[in-house]
Amino acid sequence: MTTLGRTRLADVGTYVAFGVICLFFAGPLLWLVSLSIRTSAEIYVSSINLWPNNPTLENYVAALNNPLFPTYLWNGLKLAVGGAFGAIFFAAPAAYALSRFRFRNKQLAMIGLLAVQMISPLVIMVPLYRYMDRIGLTDSHVGAMMLYIAIAAPLFTWMLKGFLDGIPRSLEEAAMIDGCTRFGAFMRVVLPLSLPGLTSAFVLNAILGWSQFIIPFILISKPNLLPIAVGIFNFQGTYSQTSTQTLAAASVISIVPAVVVFLVLQRFIIGALMSGAVKG
Amino acid sequence: MSQDAVARPAARAAVSDTGVRWRLAERPFVWLAPLALLLVVTYVYPAIDVIRYSFTDATLLNPQYAYTADSYRSVATNPDLPGILWVTLLFVVASVILQLVLGLLVAMVLHRGVKRRLPGVAAVRIIILSAWIVPGVAAGIVWQLMFNEASYGFLNAMLRGAGISPVAWLSDPDIALWSAVIANVWRGTAFSMLLLYAGLVVIPSSLYEAASVDGATPLKQFWYITLPQLRPILLINTVLISIFTLNTFDLILPLTGGGPGRATEVLALYTYNAVFRNFDLSSGAVLAVLLLAISVVFTLIYVRLLPREL
Amino acid sequence: MKKLFPSTLLAGTVLAGFVATAGAQELVTTDRVGSPDAPNVLTMRANPNQSTNSPSPEQKAAFEKVWQEFAEAHPDWQIQFEFFGQDIGGEHARLLEQARAGRAPDCVTVDSFQLALFIDNGVLKPLDDYFSQEEIDDLFPFIREGVTGPDGSIYAWWWGTDLRVLYRNTEIVPEAPQTWEELQAAALKATESGIEGVLFNGGRWEGTTFDWLANFWAQGGSLVDDSGKPIFGEGENREKMLTAINYFKGLVDSGAAPKRVATIKDYNDFNAAAIAGSAAMFFGGHWQHFQLMEAMPEAEFAKWDVSELPGPSADERSTGTGGWTVAAFSDDPAKVEMCANVMREVYMGPANEVIGDLPTRESLFASLPKFQDPYFGKLKEYLVNGHARPGVPIYPEISNQIQIMMGEVLSGTKEPEAALDGAWNRVMDAYGKL
Repeated sequence: MTTLGRTRLADVGTYVAFGVICLFFAGPLLWLVSLSIRTSAEIYVSSINLWPNNPTLENYVAALNNPLFPTYLWNGLKLAVGGAFGAIFFAAPAAYALSRFRFRNKQLAMIGLLAVQMISPLVIMVPLYRYMDRIGLTDSHVGAMMLYIAIAAPLFTWMLKGFLDGIPRSLEEAAMIDGCTRFGAFMRVVLPLSLPGLTSAFVLNAILGWSQFIIPFILISKPNLLPIAVGIFNFQGTYSQTSTQTLAAASVISIVPAVVVFLVLQRFIIGALMSGAVKG
Repeated sequence: MSQDAVARPAARAAVSDTGVRWRLAERPFVWLAPLALLLVVTYVYPAIDVIRYSFTDATLLNPQYAYTADSYRSVATNPDLPGILWVTLLFVVASVILQLVLGLLVAMVLHRGVKRRLPGVAAVRIIILSAWIVPGVAAGIVWQLMFNEASYGFLNAMLRGAGISPVAWLSDPDIALWSAVIANVWRGTAFSMLLLYAGLVVIPSSLYEAASVDGATPLKQFWYITLPQLRPILLINTVLISIFTLNTFDLILPLTGGGPGRATEVLALYTYNAVFRNFDLSSGAVLAVLLLAISVVFTLIYVRLLPREL
Repeated sequence: MKKLFPSTLLAGTVLAGFVATAGAQELVTTDRVGSPDAPNVLTMRANPNQSTNSPSPEQKAAFEKVWQEFAEAHPDWQIQFEFFGQDIGGEHARLLEQARAGRAPDCVTVDSFQLALFIDNGVLKPLDDYFSQEEIDDLFPFIREGVTGPDGSIYAWWWGTDLRVLYRNTEIVPEAPQTWEELQAAALKATESGIEGVLFNGGRWEGTTFDWLANFWAQGGSLVDDSGKPIFGEGENREKMLTAINYFKGLVDSGAAPKRVATIKDYNDFNAAAIAGSAAMFFGGHWQHFQLMEAMPEAEFAKWDVSELPGPSADERSTGTGGWTVAAFSDDPAKVEMCANVMREVYMGPANEVIGDLPTRESLFASLPKFQDPYFGKLKEYLVNGHARPGVPIYPEISNQIQIMMGEVLSGTKEPEAALDGAWNRVMDAYGKL
């Protein structure tokens, strides 16, 4: 078989794999979409058919007409993006130190970071609430954001450290020979070079923040401050109401902003990675 | 705080103010301090408080409490604990293995697709990502309807259509846990996929080219190039998803609530229940410490496997 | 970092597209009632179903009307809302924690079975000054007991209740089964035509315990004694528990109920089965009548009827009654009074009309137009056998253990005796720690 033929065959294989992957991952999502365009009467009736008999957009109208819904989305975006962005300020210098310096207990510091990452908010929820309450940071985005940053920072540091390891030191050394301070070299040379790494760590942590549930659940009770991951619960009636279809519509909409942000940044990441590869 | 590997630049000669700042910048501690401070304030302090609570008889109902080690004794002698730990172990190990394997497969397929510039790659990525972003409660509801054992349940309807007898997805205690694993893997794979994909992209293609020239089969290339190159990222990925999975309960809660009986009651859910159902803060704290201890053990094992040079 | 900016901007634009245009001076919004300029602020946390944030469009509109009148009657006040999530148990634990810290909202809708926690912890304000003795005496006895504290004051207004009934497709089961035996026979007969005989809650949630307890109460059983100490695992109460467990186990073992009941933890599952025509009977809540009416074609709905839950014998009957209260947490007497106004003007009566939860006052049952429907006449008869869950702090754990027990028995992992003793021991452990 020719090389071309083999590549073609592999392409077919790739598409078969795409198909299987999509079936597993898209199936339940299509289901969610299907639920979101049903009338309450049809939620259970023709479950086997993805396309309902009387498709309706009313559930989307109902979700969007709830004036709190955009607020939830906005808060979710603000906390997720703010948390990931804030994490840069703590993670970038730390990652730099872990990548560029040699010092005793460095391994310990890396493991310590992991250890903190292991403390789930679930573990500390009650003391955390009492403590944040004492210092007046419940029902505030400042308090919540602080925790989003703290949750994102260790992982951010790990990812960025790995990326920095791949950037040759010669560039910043050259800058320092030219009279730059180390901090200046870090700001003007290292950070711009690590933009792809920063971006992918940013995206990952922003999305983790987007689905963060326990922190806002514990710390925030004012509806105009809630992010979507918690606010979405308000679309689920308690047992005396059937509102699965509205919840489904709200869920579908809530995926959109995150996907959009990801799409935009993803393109940027791939571009950056590719240009890096060409240069390297 | 010994030597820095970077050659000392000439700027060192600069004096006074700049000199002090310059020397400070040479200390790794200075670079690490903001992060350390943040983590101590937000995480370490409450975590120490949890340990303190675990040595009390505190409840949510009673603001007064006394110090005692009874809470540890009662958790240690709790007849349900072995069962819960077993369920947790199965849930975590199965979820982690599946997420790793699936995540790696998907990442490799995607990587190939991107390299070959095959159309449709972006769509696949978005689909997997969406599964990750769906709010936990919605994921729980969707999977509950998929697994539903009534005549209108989706999976069983498909099985029946294919002439296979229906499965008791959630009502059979032995199967319910695996159903929970499937739902969890569905939601969690995207994270592994993203990390591993990033790892694949940075493997120099020259390695593969050289191997091809030497006539190595794709399988051999995978075994001798891809896996070793991915090792650090695989390890960190494993640690992270183990911790995530260990602490997951927001999917199981809407899916099975921990039932039937205790068949799907993982340690995280049990901890949540101890605090929020029984108002038993001290037992909840002991369980939280236990969760922490398990994570530490997990991590130590992985650290042994990590390459020396970090 | 500059490159991050356009994406944020873009996401912002996407979001902005969603933002509905809201009038500046509306008196009723999703999370505020009254003018935003009103000098006095009352914070209120509500179950979304019982507010202008209701997921049901009809009920949302109806609540907006009720609150509009309230806002017009109290122009100096604005009410700012917070909402419960769906994990009611967790929400109440959080509320208690906040009340402790002095940060609870001024006025809160509290689930009736959790009310005792708050009364016992002394975080509620007495309401005797705001309700007349006549109004209090007008409450059904079990309701009055539920809101009265140890000192004889009332600490909440329990404004609506629900109850459990047997739904049946009269085409398949023409006669309403009166006893457990009749029910099982009718269900078995129904399965011959290839459908599910009877459905009930058996999954891991509060409804499983609550619906099933009627069978325990019908025999005269008690979960706790007068001091709130659990007694269900000893002596004749234990026997009654076992009898009630064996009744459900028998339904599943005989095939009268499908095995999947062990997974049902949502009343909507019954609606689904009824609509799909795949079940002959189910134990459900009285409100499902209206859901089925809305969701089914008229001819189909006409086949369905409700009757009292069957008992061990035709004379021993019981049904679980739940419902919601409103309680005041504020230290400010003016806010407590405004909260009492909310109870009186929004919940006592109007909210019953909106949601269909039964009024808790004899006279309101007789006077509110909605409840003159013959359906409610029937429910009122069943309400005589109404039984509320014991308002004691240990109840949530009793319920949790009963749910586990039920799952173990229905899925066949444990025999009833072993499962019950397991539940009993764990409850007593937890009771010792309270």
